[in-house]
Amino acid sequence: MLRRTLASNWFYVVLMIALIVLPHAIGWVSGDSPFGVRGRPVGQSIYWQGILIEVFVLAVLAMSYNLVFGFTGVISFGHALFFGVGGYILGIVLEYTDLTGEVGLLIGIGLTLIVSAVLGLVIGLVTLRLRGVYFAMFTLAVAEMFYIFFSRLALTRAEDGFALTELPVWIDPTRSRLTFYYIALALLAVTFLFIRRLIFSPTGAVLLAVRENEERARTIGFDTLRFKLLAITVAGMIASLAGLIQVILNKKVGPEVLNVSNTIDPLLMTIIGGAGTFTGPVIGAAGLHLGDRLLRDLVIEVGGASIDIGANWALILGIVFILVVLVFPYGIVGTFRRWRTRQAK
Amino acid sequence: MRPNILVSVALLVAVVAFGYFLSPDLGSFGITIMSGLFQGMLLFLVASGLSIIFGLMDVLNFAQGAYFMVGAYVSYSVHHSPDVMAAIPDPNIRFFLSVISAVAVGAILGGLLERFLLRPLYARPVFQIVLTFGVAIVMTEAVKFIWSTNPYSWTVLFSLRDQSFQLFGQSFGVYRLVVIGIGFALIILIGLLLQRTRIGIIIRAGVEDREMVEALGINVRMVFTLVFTIGCAVASFGGAIAAPFLGASAGLANLFLLSAIAVVVLGGMGSYAGTAMGSLLLGLALSVMQVFAGKPQIGLPVLASMTPMMLMILVLLVRPGGLFGKGR
Amino acid sequence: MASSEAILEVKDIHTFIGQFHILEGVSVSLPRGSIGVLLGRNGAGKTTTLRTIMGITPPRSGEVRFEGQRLNSMRSFSVARMGIGYVPEHRAIFKGLTVRENLHIAERRSGDFTRKADLIFDLFPDLKRLVHLPGGNLSGGQQQMLAIARALVPDNRLLLIDEPSEGLAPVIIEQLMHAIRRLSEQTTVLLVEQNFRMASQLADRYTIIDEGQSAVAGDMRDLVKDQALIQRYLGVA
Repeated sequence: MLRRTLASNWFYVVLMIALIVLPHAIGWVSGDSPFGVRGRPVGQSIYWQGILIEVFVLAVLAMSYNLVFGFTGVISFGHALFFGVGGYILGIVLEYTDLTGEVGLLIGIGLTLIVSAVLGLVIGLVTLRLRGVYFAMFTLAVAEMFYIFFSRLALTRAEDGFALTELPVWIDPTRSRLTFYYIALALLAVTFLFIRRLIFSPTGAVLLAVRENEERARTIGFDTLRFKLLAITVAGMIASLAGLIQVILNKKVGPEVLNVSNTIDPLLMTIIGGAGTFTGPVIGAAGLHLGDRLLRDLVIEVGGASIDIGANWALILGIVFILVVLVFPYGIVGTFRRWRTRQAK
Repeated sequence: MRPNILVSVALLVAVVAFGYFLSPDLGSFGITIMSGLFQGMLLFLVASGLSIIFGLMDVLNFAQGAYFMVGAYVSYSVHHSPDVMAAIPDPNIRFFLSVISAVAVGAILGGLLERFLLRPLYARPVFQIVLTFGVAIVMTEAVKFIWSTNPYSWTVLFSLRDQSFQLFGQSFGVYRLVVIGIGFALIILIGLLLQRTRIGIIIRAGVEDREMVEALGINVRMVFTLVFTIGCAVASFGGAIAAPFLGASAGLANLFLLSAIAVVVLGGMGSYAGTAMGSLLLGLALSVMQVFAGKPQIGLPVLASMTPMMLMILVLLVRPGGLFGKGR
Repeated sequence: MASSEAILEVKDIHTFIGQFHILEGVSVSLPRGSIGVLLGRNGAGKTTTLRTIMGITPPRSGEVRFEGQRLNSMRSFSVARMGIGYVPEHRAIFKGLTVRENLHIAERRSGDFTRKADLIFDLFPDLKRLVHLPGGNLSGGQQQMLAIARALVPDNRLLLIDEPSEGLAPVIIEQLMHAIRRLSEQTTVLLVEQNFRMASQLADRYTIIDEGQSAVAGDMRDLVKDQALIQRYLGVA
């Protein structure tokens, strides 16, 4: 049983092992210890761990977005809300209550999950009965409202945000970066497996039916509203966990976690990677974020004019995005899969 | 009177009365109202296109705010360009030309968007929404690429922009009044276009039943392109005439998009009269809220920036069809 | 031979809506100047046949010819411009537009409405005093008259009328029959009609559609005599 599972998923197993070994491998190649140099968080391995943690965070966020957009067919423009809520709640618990260390962390995580679930439920209940476009508008408005509110709220130091100082040592990314790397990796793996399990379950079958034709799913007798609510609530909770990891990595909470870019990023990553596929959002997240990092300082010459790739990364992404929507609506993974089935025939 | 008009007028009166109640004297009340009408007119210029486009083609154009932004940049650039300054020294005439350029650019970009990006996607409406969102990103980023990320403020003045008159001990800008006048004129003009002309009848019929319009022998897709072009041109016009006050910055795109969406929801998606009424209401409400939230006893200026979203959420909760809509 | 005198020739069309195969081989032939009717049970594919002719749900295979011209790949506005008027099921008049606007929008050349106003108000005198009312304020019968009148504004040589009698009182149905008979003096008409009495009194030709296929076609006078056939396909006596 186990052997068969491992054999049919050899690709994921190999990838997982590679990601577990990677910090050590980089450390071995570069000579910089994966635990940092002389107790300080510096060196090649630490640097790449940081970048990969960001990739994991974005991949989890994109996967949660994909659960709503790709698998259920509901467009949300407010995903940043859940991401940011995760960050802010942990921050507020650690900073403004007497709870610190492990207790604070646990309560922060628990509260994050509860609040994001409630938010998802409430937003869903209000708008999901209406046409899809209302949900898109409503989520955009709510997310923007929270963004404005937290960028002016004196309690959370408005635009500046505040630092997380009372983290337990074992999770503190400046002191125990490698542990934190494995925690983020674990979240990625668990999210991936969870979403796959969910989609292959009877519930997942209904979600797909809602995406294909909600009217028909309803005539068959499914309470489609409940299933859409479920998708949005679960996706919101996953996104809030991603936000939580993000603020721990930065050791800082500020309104930028609620910024609309945290909606745009997963949207682009999901569609470019392949909406409605399991690996698409992960590939999208890795591709776009690594691309951003690697090309940041690249300047290319086109016909005498030099174009700064890094500075115009968002513009390039946007154009790629539009082309993908028009020409390859199934994204990288979906298009590849279609091409392969056609080859097989 | 029909109940929706009654409710709208009641709301309008309530907002104005609240503004009056907050004002220490007639002069500052006048300022509040004028500022509200000014914002309402700018909102109308973005929201009208948004609403008609949605009603006719079921496309919620998330790029509508970006057209407002582009209008502001084009108008700013033409007005401040040294070459144009040398050719047309009179700033009033130059400003007129700036506005026309902005309208032309908005119209061309709007037509291109509908014809080449949206038209292939009418069979996939989910992707249309996502696409307009993507277009908004690209336009905002393209603007940053062309004009850099720094916001511009209007520096080369012109007499129309700077004249003012005294009333009740306050000084009122003539330009704001002109914008308000233009806004009212456009509300009536577009209304007449929809009521009286053949194309207007086709648009209103298309909002009800596109398939039947097509079956009568009318090429609906050409009407789509036309409406999209006009809608984007009007938004761009809004940005152009707002630029002397607001300057040009990438943030304009989102600022007006969210408020315009709130207007469209408030008025009822696809209803022209609702959009006009909703713009006025939200403009005045914004202005009154700015006064209210700025009061030392309240001291929550953030309330004013949250007004459009709060209003939209409230409408969706209470009456999702909006003031003039049929619901859903 | 038959095709040279037929104004409308539908040959073995197959139409899909989504993945559903709705028409599985429908053929209809209609001579110029006649009134044809499509008969059949609910859901047999009569409405889809009209919509396929109009180009609203284009056929995947088969052929639609009007006056010898192939219509298959045309969008519905081009089909209409060939000279075909469409009066859909449930009338589909524009409720927010006035009666006059409903008629005006159907113009294909400016002045069509003015030219046809006498004919239209002669056929449907009721409409004349309603011209300023919104379409939504009209009764069902008035809406049906308006929908037919709208198809008369341009010079159409073929009218497709879907279930004109649906939900109307017998007196109104009489009026409509009278009007359709009169306008058939100038154009060819293809009806879809559930009301067999009305169909049998109006039509010259019939085609029975059963489960997405055209089963029998012929002269209406022969059908009226053939009780067995009526019983088998229509379940009415």
